[in-house]
Amino acid sequence: MSAAAIPVIETRRLVLRAPLAEDYPDFRATFASYRSRFMGGPLNGYEAWMLYAAEIGHWEIRGFGMWMIHDRVTGATLGMAGGWQPAKWPEREIAWIIWPDRAGHGYALEATHAVRRHLYRHMDWQGAVSYIDPKNLDSIRLAERLGCVKDAEAQTIDGSDAVYRHPSPAKLDNSQLAHGIEMEIQHYADPLFKPKGWAID
Amino acid sequence: MIPTLTTDRLTLRGPREADFDAVAGFFADGGRSDFFGGPLTRGNAWRWFAMSIGHWQLKGFGFWMVELTATGQHCGLCGLWQPEGWPEPELGWAVFEGFEGMGIAKEAALAARAFAYGTLGWTTLTSNIMPGNTRSIALAERLGARLDRRFDNPLVGEELVYRHPAPEAAS
Repeated sequence: MSAAAIPVIETRRLVLRAPLAEDYPDFRATFASYRSRFMGGPLNGYEAWMLYAAEIGHWEIRGFGMWMIHDRVTGATLGMAGGWQPAKWPEREIAWIIWPDRAGHGYALEATHAVRRHLYRHMDWQGAVSYIDPKNLDSIRLAERLGCVKDAEAQTIDGSDAVYRHPSPAKLDNSQLAHGIEMEIQHYADPLFKPKGWAID
Repeated sequence: MIPTLTTDRLTLRGPREADFDAVAGFFADGGRSDFFGGPLTRGNAWRWFAMSIGHWQLKGFGFWMVELTATGQHCGLCGLWQPEGWPEPELGWAVFEGFEGMGIAKEAALAARAFAYGTLGWTTLTSNIMPGNTRSIALAERLGARLDRRFDNPLVGEELVYRHPAPEAAS
């Protein structure tokens, strides 16, 4: 799938687009940093470029892949989120990374929630997993906020990762879980936001 | 988006998902791929394959799959290559098992070089060759390229940089 054919996903604060050459410097900086330690990094320039090119090629080969997350207002890139299944991956994965200096604003939750909905509704995914390093507590927390449950029976990539299974489209659609995620995103976007009408437990 | 080139016997076309097994087979063969960044496991060969497709989108050039037009068989890889860290774009080639000695690499390389000088308008072109790769050195010399300098490739160590004749001399 060429860059022009990759769908654009919009959320309240974000626009998710195809990864382009001009977005590469931000990717490279993150993969040169300690931030990337759970994603195969840190990488030197050559390795980072290879991975970025492979992310673009992934779209072409699989028909899905990682979107570049942009701030809706400034256009700045914030990270990446999307579907990921290189060779040797037992199942389709939903993956994410936020640039280190952009963390803490709920961008990963907002982007991943939108990506998952898109994959379920428009790309006919019937489920997904996320392969997470057991030491990556930030990502485990995010997976749990997304309603994932650790699946000890599922096949891992290489034994060093834990498999978190996402709720199926049927379980997620119109669920209390989905509403809770949306309220949490609202709260990130507007810290004064208070849900009205019912208590959230 | 990726242009297709044709020669007397060959079709050079963009990589497709169905090509992956041939590429993985090439990279699994250490004796064959060790001058081309191999050997690679199937998983790493997939990354290379995906990367080679992304290379086209990021740079506007890359490696073609080389097919024997008459039979549709995959017979090699050839193209223009410049990932981050490469000093300048290079012309590279590899021939798959069973297709050596037929002049396939030369025929493909001439087509790729003509594309670089013609369509892309480049004025010079190199080939990075690992020391000891006598077959590729011999081909570079048959293509009129001459040893220009040595280059410390961050990935594979020292390489020999052969420089091709300029467009006027090559045509």
